[in-house]
Amino acid sequence: MKKHIELTENDNVNEDNLKVSGKRKDKNMKSKKLGSILYIGLVFFFLYLPIFVTMIFSFNSSKSLTRWDGFSLRWYERLWTDRDIIAAVWVSVSIALLATVVSTILGTITAIGLSKCRKVLKEWILNVNNIPVLNPDIVTAIGLMILFSSIGFFEKGYMTMLFAHIIFCTPYVITSVYPKVRALDVNLANAAMDLGATPFQALTKVIFPMIKPGIFAGILLSFTMSFDDFVVSYFVTGNGVSNISIVVYNMTKRTNPTINALSTLVIIVIVITMLIVNLVPMLAKRQDKTNMKNERNTK
Amino acid sequence: MKRKWIGAAVLIMLCTGVLLGAAGCGGKDKPTLRIFNSGEYIEKSLLTKFEKKYDCKIVYETYDSNESMYTKLVSGSEYDILVPSDYMIERLIKEDYLQKIDWDKISNKDALIPALMDKEYEQGEKYSAYSVPYFWGSVGILYDTEVVDEEDLEQGWEILRNKKYAGNIYMYDSERDALMIALKSLGYSMNTENKEELDEAYEWLEKQRNTMDPVYVGDDVIDNMISGNKAMAVVYSGDGALIIADNDKLDFFEPKQGTNLWYDGIVITKYCEETELAHKFLNFLLEEDNALLNDEEIGYSSSVQSVFETMRDENYKGIDAYVPRTDYEKDEVFRYQKPDIKSYCADLWTKVKAQ
Amino acid sequence: MKQFKKLVVPYIIWSAVFVVFPLVLIFLYAVTTGGNSLVNIKFTWDSFQKMAEPIYVSVFLRSLKLGVITTIICLGLGYPLAYMISKCREQVQVILILFITIPMWINTLLRTYAWISILQDNGLLNSLLEWLGFGKLHFMYTDVAVVMGLVCDLLPFMIIPIHTVLTKMDHSLIEAAQDLGADKWQVFGKVIFKMSIPGVLNGVTMVFLLAISAFVIPKLLGGAQYFLIGNLIEDQFLNVGNWNFGSAISIILALAILLIINLMRKVDSDGAGGDEE
Repeated sequence: MKKHIELTENDNVNEDNLKVSGKRKDKNMKSKKLGSILYIGLVFFFLYLPIFVTMIFSFNSSKSLTRWDGFSLRWYERLWTDRDIIAAVWVSVSIALLATVVSTILGTITAIGLSKCRKVLKEWILNVNNIPVLNPDIVTAIGLMILFSSIGFFEKGYMTMLFAHIIFCTPYVITSVYPKVRALDVNLANAAMDLGATPFQALTKVIFPMIKPGIFAGILLSFTMSFDDFVVSYFVTGNGVSNISIVVYNMTKRTNPTINALSTLVIIVIVITMLIVNLVPMLAKRQDKTNMKNERNTK
Repeated sequence: MKRKWIGAAVLIMLCTGVLLGAAGCGGKDKPTLRIFNSGEYIEKSLLTKFEKKYDCKIVYETYDSNESMYTKLVSGSEYDILVPSDYMIERLIKEDYLQKIDWDKISNKDALIPALMDKEYEQGEKYSAYSVPYFWGSVGILYDTEVVDEEDLEQGWEILRNKKYAGNIYMYDSERDALMIALKSLGYSMNTENKEELDEAYEWLEKQRNTMDPVYVGDDVIDNMISGNKAMAVVYSGDGALIIADNDKLDFFEPKQGTNLWYDGIVITKYCEETELAHKFLNFLLEEDNALLNDEEIGYSSSVQSVFETMRDENYKGIDAYVPRTDYEKDEVFRYQKPDIKSYCADLWTKVKAQ
Repeated sequence: MKQFKKLVVPYIIWSAVFVVFPLVLIFLYAVTTGGNSLVNIKFTWDSFQKMAEPIYVSVFLRSLKLGVITTIICLGLGYPLAYMISKCREQVQVILILFITIPMWINTLLRTYAWISILQDNGLLNSLLEWLGFGKLHFMYTDVAVVMGLVCDLLPFMIIPIHTVLTKMDHSLIEAAQDLGADKWQVFGKVIFKMSIPGVLNGVTMVFLLAISAFVIPKLLGGAQYFLIGNLIEDQFLNVGNWNFGSAISIILALAILLIINLMRKVDSDGAGGDEE
């Protein structure tokens, strides 16, 4: 759940690299280079080993997870008819979407309001906001479990899981949007209002467009966090509502290649999304550059 | 341009969100049964079949152990149907969580093994007043005939502390069964409320843990033993039968010091409002075809006489584990524990695992 | 602009109910007995005293030990990798870092399940070992399996912060050091490593925290006898039903983590102070 630091910092990496790599000229000897390629390869092999194994054996025709008995799609057929898994995929996706929408809205308006607060209040809110980020998942989970069972208002299940996900996603949205809000020029919104814009117009026409990258990062973070979560969901759920993680946890006791089929589908969807999200901007940038060059050339 | 795109994206997400939310809440018009069952303890196609047959919805959830089921129940989760073991049925009856079974609504009643129907937990108090027998069996040791010496079996439960097999055994991660092994081995009753005896049992398990390096497992024991990963495992008789059917190098025995004869029943909780449907479900599970299908998946000793006989004489022919030992004076059934003894035992088992 | 101030109100209410109140509840459970019924509730420090029993202290120590081992391995594997990546061309870096983040987005449970099939006694790793003529080894239900699972899960959390500081580094300092006659190892030890310390601390803190509070990976790969602080909390809440004791352990865990974070921050700021001198 603690992905925010990397991801927000990662944003900066690309920009900084542009400056750095120009200055640096690698004069590494070939053997050294080979060494690092080998090392990078090995670590990646380790990271991706479980992923590849899962994908390969999801197409195995026998139940074995170690012996290859020929290609088949039977586990995918089985997946399609497994009521628990289908229900769980549904729960995971819908909760991730809903939690993302709600926590993005809540987090964004909070971040905007936060920049206008008095310093003491601001620090208090930011500190409280850090609690779910710094606390181990399991402590957040049991806190919510106690809360939901001591207040009779919540029926355990879908709603408790949704609330819990919004609760742990919102702080990450705030942490990714708030720096962008703080970097905003205060006078812009004021200028807009001086020119006759209502506060709402100032918000939607001036502020939102400028903090868009932060919001976008927040959306991505909340979605993946919600989609990934096991611990919190496991403790707060009830009434037969399970997400993918919980169903997999309950199935790990027995060998069940249906899980591999499910994994493979999840992996493919995630890899494609990640590639699109990360590489399209990069390609677009290059496209822009070539366009500019072309324009210059034609001139 | 870009702003419009983002706006559209947010709008689409909102709409899907609302739609999904609405759909998630929908479907409540059909009668619903909330079933809370032990993991890997029903053939799942039966659930779908029942839903189709009676046009209803089943909400299905699983638990690891009787204890975790009970904790969940106490913390405010509501279910219609549970599948607890003997002592837990007794506890739930005593703490007023259950409603009586209306046997008139169960037309397949006569198919049940009579001895199970008459099983009492106290003088004059039958389990069957509040539960429909589901599966039954014993606890024993599954062993690899090529590794374990036949004469060592004479040691009964003590074989689990025989250093010859150190690092080569699986224990079952169940509070009461683990303490049962130690208590029986020491010659005490497995229902003892004497804390000194329980402490001794704890020491037995502690010493076993330190000298034998056992692995505590749950249902993962099944695949591990089918692959023959270790020489011995403590298993329920039915799991034993299931495993031996896939690995004939293994055999099953019930130790001479006596063991746990268990009985799992299906109960209807007091929260259940669809009592008609709940009874239909119980009846449905007792139908011969369904019970057979169920038992072929699970492998435990069926409560339905004809299915039990079919499995014994055909599917599991020659596999003794399918037929649990009955009428042995040292075998016992788990009984209700008073709250302080229950938490005392829970602490002891936590401590064994936490070594 | 003052109008926007009231936008924080919903979140203040929200966090009071869903963030602060649960913590208050945990604390209340930790200092009382009587379980869930309000009638026989009683204030007591029993739960904390119970935590001091040697057996529970040993659980705590075991978690710390596992956390330290995992962190060291992640650092040992991750630092060189982050360093090598930072030496690549910019486009290559972006792609490599992307491929390091991708596993973090894939469900931990799914990846752990895959490790089970690799590490089983008749799993892929053992098949490989047998084929090479080494014979079978037990991996499942041992420290090796748990550490492997944790390292695979947490390695990206180490690599990325380190990589970030390495790429942000001021390269004129390195050039200056080289000009002043420092050899390769001196440059690395005295300049590069020193400057990357904030990233290292960041990664170390994160990996360590996630490792000591982990409970699913140890349970799935280590078996039920692999009992860590997370497992103890889970056991108390879901099996034993002693929420009072479970809450007390959670509080101690949360406090320990807070302490570690502050300690790391202090080390960080001290280090920075040292550089300025």
